[in-house]
Amino acid sequence: MPDNANYYYAAYAVTVLFYGGYALSIALRRRALERRRRRQQADAGVGANAASGANTGAATR
Amino acid sequence: MTSIEVGARASDKRGFDKFAWFAIIAVVATYVRAIWFTPPEALQGFAQKIMYVHVPAAWVAFLAFGMTALAGAFWFFIRDPRVDRFAESSAEVGVIFTTVVLISGPIWAKPIWGTWWVWDARLTLTLFLWFLYVGYLVLRSAVHDREIRARYSAILGLLGALLIPFIHLSVYMFRTQHPMPVIANPAGFQMPPVMVRTFFLAFISFTILYVAFVRARYALATERDALDDAAMAGH
Repeated sequence: MPDNANYYYAAYAVTVLFYGGYALSIALRRRALERRRRRQQADAGVGANAASGANTGAATR
Repeated sequence: MTSIEVGARASDKRGFDKFAWFAIIAVVATYVRAIWFTPPEALQGFAQKIMYVHVPAAWVAFLAFGMTALAGAFWFFIRDPRVDRFAESSAEVGVIFTTVVLISGPIWAKPIWGTWWVWDARLTLTLFLWFLYVGYLVLRSAVHDREIRARYSAILGLLGALLIPFIHLSVYMFRTQHPMPVIANPAGFQMPPVMVRTFFLAFISFTILYVAFVRARYALATERDALDDAAMAGH
């Protein structure tokens, strides 16, 4: 039997690296989207507060 | 409920969930069985074990691109953005599996054929398939209008999948270095039962991994679109 186990180790390592790397890329992109969602929610909150502040001001005047 | 909240809910429910853990366990079980509980082939030696990751990856790549094409065809009838998101997710996962095929193949070829690569029909067509779907993903990132992006992608996804039957039949149609199928062979299984069982386990586990990846990637696309909608609406 030929001694070529190194090739099979390399192939298995490459596949684990690729599938693991892809799973990691999904996790990182998900985290980036969560950050974006929080930022947008914060911006929306600031916008809503500014709008309600403006209304309050108008009512006071 | 706002678009942002919809996106958050989609992300929470369809990210790395129980199904993803099930996929990880299935794939780990396949590796364990292939490495420690399946004997090497007498003529090829241990390099033959590359088959348990190479062939299922090819099957999943075909499945992924086939689903992309099917979703593309379906999109023309219902014009539903969910179908387009599924096509996008499946294509990306398909590119990952095709990359695994194109890397594990040459690593297997070197000790058996004596060369990393030959420009025979199956290898060359598989490389073209990879280029086509990488182009598909680049196209998607370059077009911002969702309707136009979905239409162009559906056409490219459908045309790209036409290569799949040629790749599968290339070993019959042309004189190739690549061997004939060992499972989908009219003469029956060309392997001992212990190897066949490992082979089928690998097919099932990598198919489960495909589903897990597509679910996670689809959740990303849903959340991205929800955030884009929210940004457009002036949140």
